[in-house]
Amino acid sequence: MSAVPLPAEPWTQLPPGAAPQPSAVEVETVDRADVGERKRVLEALLKERRLQADAPPLRGEDYRLRPLATGMAALDEVLAGGFPRGEQSEIHGPASSGRTGVLLSLLAHTTLAGALAALVDPLDRLDPGSAAAAGVDLERLLWLRGPRTSGEEPQAKALVAATAAVATLVGSGLFDVVALDLAGADGARRRLPSTTWLRLQRLVEDTKTALVIVADGHVACSPGGRALALEPLGLRFSGPPGPACLLKSLAARARAGRNGLRTAELALAAV
Amino acid sequence: MFGGLHAPRPLPEPGALLAIARSFTPRVEARSPTPVLLDLSGLGRLWPTPHELGRALVAAAAAKAIEAQAALAFSRGAALVVARGCPGLTVVPAGGEAKALAPLPLALLELPEEQQQLLVRWGLRTIGDLARLPPAALAARLGPAGPRLVELARGEDAGVFQRAALPERFETTLELDWPVDGLEPLAFLLQRALEPLAEALAVRGAKAKGLAFELGLADGSVHARTLRPASPTGDARTWRTLVLLDLEAHPPRDAIARLTLRAEPTPARASQFSLLDPAQPAPEKLAETLARLHAWTEQGRSGSPRLVDTHRPGAFAVSTFAPGPLPRGRRPSAPCGPRVALRAYRPPRLAHVLTKAGVPSFVAAPGLRGAVTAAAGPWRVSGDWWDESFSREEWDIALATPTGAAAAFRLFRDRLRGEWFVEGELD
Repeated sequence: MSAVPLPAEPWTQLPPGAAPQPSAVEVETVDRADVGERKRVLEALLKERRLQADAPPLRGEDYRLRPLATGMAALDEVLAGGFPRGEQSEIHGPASSGRTGVLLSLLAHTTLAGALAALVDPLDRLDPGSAAAAGVDLERLLWLRGPRTSGEEPQAKALVAATAAVATLVGSGLFDVVALDLAGADGARRRLPSTTWLRLQRLVEDTKTALVIVADGHVACSPGGRALALEPLGLRFSGPPGPACLLKSLAARARAGRNGLRTAELALAAV
Repeated sequence: MFGGLHAPRPLPEPGALLAIARSFTPRVEARSPTPVLLDLSGLGRLWPTPHELGRALVAAAAAKAIEAQAALAFSRGAALVVARGCPGLTVVPAGGEAKALAPLPLALLELPEEQQQLLVRWGLRTIGDLARLPPAALAARLGPAGPRLVELARGEDAGVFQRAALPERFETTLELDWPVDGLEPLAFLLQRALEPLAEALAVRGAKAKGLAFELGLADGSVHARTLRPASPTGDARTWRTLVLLDLEAHPPRDAIARLTLRAEPTPARASQFSLLDPAQPAPEKLAETLARLHAWTEQGRSGSPRLVDTHRPGAFAVSTFAPGPLPRGRRPSAPCGPRVALRAYRPPRLAHVLTKAGVPSFVAAPGLRGAVTAAAGPWRVSGDWWDESFSREEWDIALATPTGAAAAFRLFRDRLRGEWFVEGELD
């Protein structure tokens, strides 16, 4: 069947002889299809050329040889460079032995290098002011705070949720450091099944993440990890008690390595 | 040919005239709620004469209780100005733009205030007065703006037609033949529904900053949720995972009979990778990880800590974890040497403190007890001094422990209540 011709529309068009208007160049909304297609091609090229820093290591380089330094030279020497990636390490010691100061120093060094760090804090102990003073880039720190609890039973539940969160964070592969702060929860920690730590060790293997557990006493450490034991050596005040007196520093001895043979003296400044 | 439609009185809603114009043609320019400009190309087949089309426009506005003025002309400027200035319907023949505009007041050109006042000072009152000025002389006085004003006054188009973008809805609905119970079968349906949505967004160079989904349940109720990850994403797989994780946390109470998904588009933002910095997290992966931690996120107990600008002790906020790109240039380095940190007790622990000459000598609180071997303080501190008036007295103390080594704590006395608290351990 032949197409029916459309009637002419004389009145919407300029009559012959009328002064032509400047050609109305239509400006439409920019068609993003081309832009989107070009972007896809460019991204495919970039991926192929592996220009991203998280690409597989260059020939001969194993990223696992680059441990995460704490930024404290004496401690990094004791740790043979720092906390190794893909391993479970621990920092343990009694109260006021410098555990938290060392942890924040590690987080500061990691976040200031541009990487991400996560802190799972089931007892909600982190002080953001202290973290900022230690130099942590707070924007690059993911903080998981446990609920307010008292008593061993609720603390044990909080620890179970915390270890599940650690597994999720380690499995994501996004963080260079995942720290689990168990200091002050020794009783509840002992109620966790011992397989918890084996499971976390398996998860962290072959990842770029260093899992660090902070506790009062020894918890668990993978064969390639570092067990850092801190022993308080005393507090230094500036003078006799009074308004002019200040807490100057906290001294500790750090031990690591086989049988704790490598030691270093640390001094953490209070002001 | 162009048509101008103007409402001299306030409109019932801002987009009313635009909606009326769009019912005639999709090619509409609307730089303000009124007037709107229609490109009438192609409409001659439906309305045999321009007067009939003009009357139809006015009638359509009247049907919405809007008293409208319409003008049809062969130039944009003439159609808009005549629509503003002449009541009812005006059809301007070809070549008659200058004549139609001449008697109209200068204010209808909507010139900048300074130019308007200058022309009035020169004694010009109507558009025709302006059109009669020689362009060269105006150029000498006003620069390039001068000849453009004359063109405007004569109804000659200097600008181009800019079609108003049609609002796009990224929405899809799936009506299921039988209700689906369980997340596994739903996962296949979600993928089927999300893939075309993601493609539609990608074609427009957009991502979704939020996704609203409504599940029509077998019992007739609706289970509606909205997801907004920290970073927009256009990946269908990521959205599917986020929806499934959300449904795991908030399961619907009956089987699902209908599924509606609505994406909130946002322009995709290109980011430049750096060869020298660590790779930044993929937004999709980050969103997925945070969604898996929903138990922490929903209670507001996960995110990035942030200091607030106050001296109130212990004040901080927790923001959504969304690390931005690394700042260019030299980045700050860590302060020299490690520092002692506070391990805060939340809430602070009520303590019983014995003092000697105003200095704490013995402290007993839940979890700690001992003689004070050294003390530094007191410092009077307070945030919000207008409320609490330096009511807090802080001490750093060393407590003897059974092992012999001293442990350091921060103690404070609330002077208003006369009570002692242990704020935390110094470690």
